[in-house]
Amino acid sequence: MSIAVVTDSTSDLPVNIASHHNISVVPLNVHIQDDTFRDGIDISAAEMYRKLPDQKVIPTTSAPSVGTFLEFYERLAETHDEIISIHLSSKLSLTHGSAVNAAKEMQSKGTLVKVVDTAQASMALGWTAVEVAELVAKGGTIDEAVIRAENAAGRASFVGMVDTLEYLVRGGRIGKAKGFVGSLLKFRPILTLIEGEVHPVSRVRNRGKGIAELKTMIGDAAPLSKLAVLYTTEEDLAREIAISVTDYAPDGEPIVAQLGPVVGNYLGPGALGFGLIRSASSA
Amino acid sequence: MALDANRETINALNVFPVPDGDTGTNMLLSLRSVIEQLPDGTSESANEVAKIVARSALLGARGNSGLILAQYFKGLSEAIGEDTELTGEHFAKSIRHASDSAYKALPNPVEGTMLTVYRECAEISETAAAQNPDLESVMSIVAVEALKSVQRTPQLLPILAEAEVVDSGGFGFAVMIDGALRSLKGEDPIGRKIPVPMPNDSKFTGAIKTDFVNASEEIEWGYCTVFAIESENIDINKLRDQIAKIGRSAVVDGADGIAKVHVHMEDPGLALTMGLDYGQLSNIEIANMDTQASDWAADRREDTSSEDTNLLPVAVVAVAVGAGLKDLIISTGMGATSVLEGGDTMNPSVSDLLAAVEAAPSENVILLPNNKNIIPAALEVPTLTNKDVRVIQTLSIQTGVAALLEFNNTHDINENQKAMNSVLSEIGDGRVCIATRDANVYGNKIKKGMAFATFNEEIIAVGSEPFSVLTELIEAKGEDAEIITIYTGDSIEKDGIESTDKLLRNKFGDLEIEVIYGGQPHYDFLVAVE
Repeated sequence: MSIAVVTDSTSDLPVNIASHHNISVVPLNVHIQDDTFRDGIDISAAEMYRKLPDQKVIPTTSAPSVGTFLEFYERLAETHDEIISIHLSSKLSLTHGSAVNAAKEMQSKGTLVKVVDTAQASMALGWTAVEVAELVAKGGTIDEAVIRAENAAGRASFVGMVDTLEYLVRGGRIGKAKGFVGSLLKFRPILTLIEGEVHPVSRVRNRGKGIAELKTMIGDAAPLSKLAVLYTTEEDLAREIAISVTDYAPDGEPIVAQLGPVVGNYLGPGALGFGLIRSASSA
Repeated sequence: MALDANRETINALNVFPVPDGDTGTNMLLSLRSVIEQLPDGTSESANEVAKIVARSALLGARGNSGLILAQYFKGLSEAIGEDTELTGEHFAKSIRHASDSAYKALPNPVEGTMLTVYRECAEISETAAAQNPDLESVMSIVAVEALKSVQRTPQLLPILAEAEVVDSGGFGFAVMIDGALRSLKGEDPIGRKIPVPMPNDSKFTGAIKTDFVNASEEIEWGYCTVFAIESENIDINKLRDQIAKIGRSAVVDGADGIAKVHVHMEDPGLALTMGLDYGQLSNIEIANMDTQASDWAADRREDTSSEDTNLLPVAVVAVAVGAGLKDLIISTGMGATSVLEGGDTMNPSVSDLLAAVEAAPSENVILLPNNKNIIPAALEVPTLTNKDVRVIQTLSIQTGVAALLEFNNTHDINENQKAMNSVLSEIGDGRVCIATRDANVYGNKIKKGMAFATFNEEIIAVGSEPFSVLTELIEAKGEDAEIITIYTGDSIEKDGIESTDKLLRNKFGDLEIEVIYGGQPHYDFLVAVE
């Protein structure tokens, strides 16, 4: 009995981690003018961020089609008995819906596909997939994997500090943070996902202060089982943050990962953040 | 009223920390609100009158001095208790009570102020009443000693000595006692001017800032509408809620089939129509206050009518003056914030604050007084409403904006209170203005017309024009700042904001500075250093 673990590209899982844990990543789509790119395959994060500040180009994103999911599931079904498919918050994207529809199709063909809505994004989702992959590697069953996915997602947090509200506003996915938008003062919002929706954490006037707040939030969440420091364009700053929160990371210095084109399209250049999972004992 | 004739002198005495001189006006208006509320007839016993007076004094209290004055009337009510005639002992007790509760009501009681005058008058009146409990005898002694106590205030509060004045609120109280005594004796105290009891019997020559007095007379707005409703079984609370929703400064009280309504509003017809639903109207008095008022009322209606009628988990009421600052606060307030107009020269009364809190679209309201002198009035509000009201003690509008940035409409009132309180100590409060009279501020002689900059409680720079002292302020205090926000006053033109921004950027390229239109009166620049 072998189980395949699937997630989507909004998990922002670095390629080496995904392949190490045998996690398949289904790409969302990025639309720039008349072109469509598969997230992380046809367009890299770096290319995306080069295009973003151009006011004439307002990229949009879309969920993978049911057909895309079916392609992945069918290929995996050749070598696996069952599939667990772990995804981005259903309140932010139709990705989960596409996966559910593809799963029904697979079931009629005799392959069990369990789909989990993590209500998370980025490395909070990515680490959830990793925890599930770790359980599966140790011989966990599909039911145990579903329980682990839900449990890990509940212990996960994704927090981002946005350099400007512009990208978030034009992307429209601001959820409960919409009250932030009108302020005549310049500030950097710190945002998180709660119950799958964007929630405001705080508004900081100064980036240094915001970075300090991110570090405090990481410290407050400890002990941790997983930690990644995230950035869109400023890797150096992310590395500095990672070094200063090493004490909280489970295995030495935390992973530093770039936010991918989809999540990055909403957070914009200059965004910093983290994705973590608290230790099970502290949950 | 005796206060009326002496108001401008009292205003002129009020020069610290910025010569905003409004003590006389605040006290007069507070006392007027008491008199407006006095029962019409003479049949009421002293205790009944005192109870009414205590309530109306508190509700009408304006500014710091007005609120301390209200403590006196509260004291009077408690001292009389169930007795029907006012004696010298009652008077002594009332001042003692006023003194005790005023010390308690202020977060940081300072000697050499109205508090000291209360305390010393309490001691003297107790001694006097023990010897002869006759009211006139006790008041005669206190009236003289009150002025002596005022004369000593510069010895206790060095700032008064520097500015060569005595305490304005204390003097206002002494004037009021003198007026009350003369009234008791059957004299007419109206128009009697009392010489300011300056140290060494020197003469107070403070020039009267007519522009200021004019401004403070514009505090009232729309029509002051007062009427009575006669009917059995009036639901006073319901009536009060309704009146508070349609007007401002609503005071609704009643007993035995009569309700008295006092409300300020642009269209007095609305209040009368509402009153008719409850019963027959009588004693209708409608006074047009002034024209600026109606703009205010219209602004306010805009603020509230645009709100969703659904109750929010938490709402914020912020006191501010200046078009830019108002817009800034509304835009930063996450759809849950309303602005009550007020500031240095226009302290909103307790009832203004209460009305704004009652009108806020939530049962949980955070109140930002944004001014040192408004804090005491704000602190009275939680006890006067059924709503859960938390006062964040913001000393300045700059601190208020910083606190508001901590506001989060998805958090509950406890979390918000904690977060908003946490920034209070992180904001440096810089101000740049032009002296409107010769003054001696924090040991610096400042000539009328000179620009000067203060930071927290010290003078940083004095110069010929505001921009240069602003740059000196930033040089002195901005070095380690994470961000400096500059709110431009109504004296700065729109293109002046851009040029200020450019000049500062050139001069302080390595500092994070944001210049934003505040539109506040008096201060050319308000500066927040974080």
